[in-house]
Amino acid sequence: MRVVVAEDSMILREGLVRLLTEAGFDVVGQAGDGTELLAQVDAHRPEVAIVDIRMPPTHTDEGLRAAKELRHRYPGLGVLVLSQYARPSYAFELLSEGTDGIGYLLKDRVSDLGELAESVRRVAGGGSVLDPSVVAQLVNRRRMGNDPVDELTEREFEVLGLMAEGRSNKAVADRLFITEHTVEKHVQNIFAKLQISATTDDHRRVLAVLTFLNSS
Amino acid sequence: MVRRSIVVAAASLTLGVGVAWVMFANEVRTASVLDVILVLVIGWSFIGAGLLAWHLKPGNSIGTAMIVTGVLRFLAALAQSQNLLLFAGGHALEVAYLAGVIFVVLAFPGGRLENSFHRWLFGLAIFAVGPLDVARLVFGGHDPQSCVGCPTTLVIEVMNAPGIVRALELALFGLGAVVAVSAFAVLLRRWRRASPRLRFAIAPVLWVGAASFVAVLLMVANHFLEEPTGDAPHVLLDVVTASVAFAFLAGLGRTRLARSAVADLVIELGNTPGPGELRAALARALRDPSLDIVYWLPDRDRFVDADGHPVALPDDDGERSVTIVQRDDHTIAALLHDPALREDQQLVESVCAAAGLAMENERLQAELRARLGELSASRTRIVEATQAERRRIERDLHDGSQQRLVSVAMTLGLADSRLASDPDGAQTFLREARAGLSEALEDLRELSSGIYPGILTERGLAAALDDLAARCHLPVGLVVSLPERLPDRVEIAAYFVVSEALTNVAKHAPASTVQVHVEQVDGQVVIEVRDDGPGGADPGGGSGLRGLRDRIEALGGRFVLVSSPGAGTVVEAEIPCA
Repeated sequence: MRVVVAEDSMILREGLVRLLTEAGFDVVGQAGDGTELLAQVDAHRPEVAIVDIRMPPTHTDEGLRAAKELRHRYPGLGVLVLSQYARPSYAFELLSEGTDGIGYLLKDRVSDLGELAESVRRVAGGGSVLDPSVVAQLVNRRRMGNDPVDELTEREFEVLGLMAEGRSNKAVADRLFITEHTVEKHVQNIFAKLQISATTDDHRRVLAVLTFLNSS
Repeated sequence: MVRRSIVVAAASLTLGVGVAWVMFANEVRTASVLDVILVLVIGWSFIGAGLLAWHLKPGNSIGTAMIVTGVLRFLAALAQSQNLLLFAGGHALEVAYLAGVIFVVLAFPGGRLENSFHRWLFGLAIFAVGPLDVARLVFGGHDPQSCVGCPTTLVIEVMNAPGIVRALELALFGLGAVVAVSAFAVLLRRWRRASPRLRFAIAPVLWVGAASFVAVLLMVANHFLEEPTGDAPHVLLDVVTASVAFAFLAGLGRTRLARSAVADLVIELGNTPGPGELRAALARALRDPSLDIVYWLPDRDRFVDADGHPVALPDDDGERSVTIVQRDDHTIAALLHDPALREDQQLVESVCAAAGLAMENERLQAELRARLGELSASRTRIVEATQAERRRIERDLHDGSQQRLVSVAMTLGLADSRLASDPDGAQTFLREARAGLSEALEDLRELSSGIYPGILTERGLAAALDDLAARCHLPVGLVVSLPERLPDRVEIAAYFVVSEALTNVAKHAPASTVQVHVEQVDGQVVIEVRDDGPGGADPGGGSGLRGLRDRIEALGGRFVLVSSPGAGTVVEAEIPCA
């Protein structure tokens, strides 16, 4: 699978390239800022672009803007945004324009080779990836006080978190060592308790869950 | 001075009585009662006003001019005499006093004719009422019919030449008309240009003066009428002329009124004036609404307004005038006022004297406000500096240690994935990870000692400076003489003075050698960092230097940077230890 990496820190960019290569990806282009990234994607037409948020020249959210630009120009391209900090507001900004083929991960998460490979493949396949720590922040916010979230069982709560991370029923089942059928039942219960209209579409499900979590 | 006035007063009294007697006490009664009264009123009022002006404005020629005008008016009345000589003399001087009126009106209030045009006007007036009028009489211009009962011969008449007289009369009245119209125009222009303060002072004289010029014009016009209307224009001129002196007295009275305003001011200032009230009170007392007060701050070497904002003094030109106010030989303030006030220096001085204490008070408040302004600016800068510092630390962490640690995590990830299949490769990655960790630790160490040098707490300022000098890439001569440990805040401030100064030297004058002296003198730490570089550093510039200055001034200390081109740079700081 062909990927392009955008990261201004040389040491991290090399580390990423090494990891991706090790995981069997083909790094066809590297960029140090947003402009370069757009040029590399245009030249190599990769399946996934991996983008650091904070890049030159302003060192604020160039990566985020470049990612949104990429999604407009190349609808089928998977974009995985890496960040030093887990910021729900960034995640929402990114996912608000459609959750298919988009991911938001903390940088430390990539050191787990299996996790990195799975995330890249998921966004390449049109799925979504949301860093567990962002999900945790959203969920914890809901756990303060009187909230429908409190009615969830511990297991349902786990399932909700994994769903919010963008995982499919099968992935959730694998994670929790339960059957897909059980996951299905948990999901139905969760949707009923939270009063979210059920949907079988994984992508729309993520957005529905996130929207619920983010609403106050 | 007083004697001169008494002599003049006595003489003019005698002269007035004499003239009245000449006019009235003769057998034929050439003059009417109204004539006599007008002559006495004009003569005495001019002389009286002149004497008062002598007294109030010594050195101002208006007083003399008024006295001369009054005397001339008396002498003109001798034209009513039966005595041939007095009769002739009176006729010769009959309109001479008008030149005096013109001078008084044009020269009011300064006592000088401002420009050559005014001097020309005055010269023409003298020529007309003097030589020209006398020549007219010499050539037979006197009309014996004009006065019933007067002598029929005029001793100065040498021939009867009606042609010459006609020409001279034309010239005389033509000139009179020109001078009257021009003088009227001068007054009109002066009024339009005058500031409110000046208008107030000159209004009476200006308007009465203008009226007298109109009366002269009417008199001239009357002369050229087919059927002259008799004495009416003469009487009108006399009435208006009499008013000139009273108008002058009114002008003086207005100054007197202003004087009593000083008394009001004293009472007003007795109640402590609120902010801005002092200015309003002085503006009222001096009748100058445009008045401004600025206060002198000696330690800042500049003037500020009542709010403590710096003010530049205007040029003392035609637009604004500046009067420096002193108290006990020290400048405390300056008044920015209408130039017209310069005519009344005495009033300004008495107002300043009366308001001296209040101004000193206000000056202290302005000083306080200036200090508060600086303090709040410095506090804002300290807050901003703190925020900038935090941003820098976040940036350093993000770009330094965090990245290294993420990189280490990645390397460990690689090692992990190789562990089973390629143990040797995995070991290489592990070693790489360990090296990365050491670098990350080094980064953190560097960063944390930049935030707060640990050695300062552990071993004190001398050891910390020693450490700093050793790590500096410049040759540093360090002399520290501190008998005891200092309070934390003083140590850290002193440390950062030296650290920032060394950083600056390394940045701007990398080839220099540096001498650092730190000693305790009279309860203060005195720090001096001196380099032999090119100098020319901007004392106000650089956020680092300004931050240091704020920090030290916040501790009640003093920070000075001296850097002249070619003479190196010296940073001096004194921080109180208590």
